[in-house]
Amino acid sequence: MKEIIAIIRPSKMNATKKKLDEMDVPSVTAMPVWGRGNQRGINPVLTGIEVSKEAMVKGHVTGMKFVPKRMLVIVAKDEDVDKIVDIITKTNKTGYIGDGKIFICPTDNAMKVRTKETGDAAL
Amino acid sequence: MIRAIVRPETADAVTDGLADSGFYSMTKMPVFGRGKQKGLTVGNTHYDELPKILIIVVVEDSSVDEVLKIIQFKAYTGSEGDGKIFISPVEKAITVRTGASGI
Repeated sequence: MKEIIAIIRPSKMNATKKKLDEMDVPSVTAMPVWGRGNQRGINPVLTGIEVSKEAMVKGHVTGMKFVPKRMLVIVAKDEDVDKIVDIITKTNKTGYIGDGKIFICPTDNAMKVRTKETGDAAL
Repeated sequence: MIRAIVRPETADAVTDGLADSGFYSMTKMPVFGRGKQKGLTVGNTHYDELPKILIIVVVEDSSVDEVLKIIQFKAYTGSEGDGKIFISPVEKAITVRTGASGI
């Protein structure tokens, strides 16, 4: 059993959910988060956005330290992990920075509250 | 993966401190929680769950100690409710844009 934590663009959320649905992976936990990656958020100096001198004087050039993202948490069987990662990467790839990251973490057990099933049956 | 639950007012100090040391990549989110003290009682009002910020940082194994030190130092106030840090394993990290694995 593996926990897949994917941090993606909020605008790609619906497309990702739809694709996951089509591939028979309906269970997802999603939450709005703030994050940044190797590009250090949106930095006008690093990304080459032109800033007027007036804005520079007023100090309005800090960009965004954190960018709004959507975090998906999917707990899946070991054999489904590659499939899910493939779906998420294919749907979210735009080629521009900020497409997101996927982390795969080991999970020991899961339990379905209603039926008290544990292990793979609970997923 | 390091998950740190810290006070909202120290969250900026923690993230800036991590950035100063070269750990730029992180995710943060507002959460509500309680710890050993079972929330907070002020007068007759009991707050069961208190607002906190959850910061998620994924780093190489060799950097874990350094990150822990920074978070502990920056999030410390000395009173109850400073937060907790959890460390869990990550098997694989994938960048969506390039498809490459690794942080």
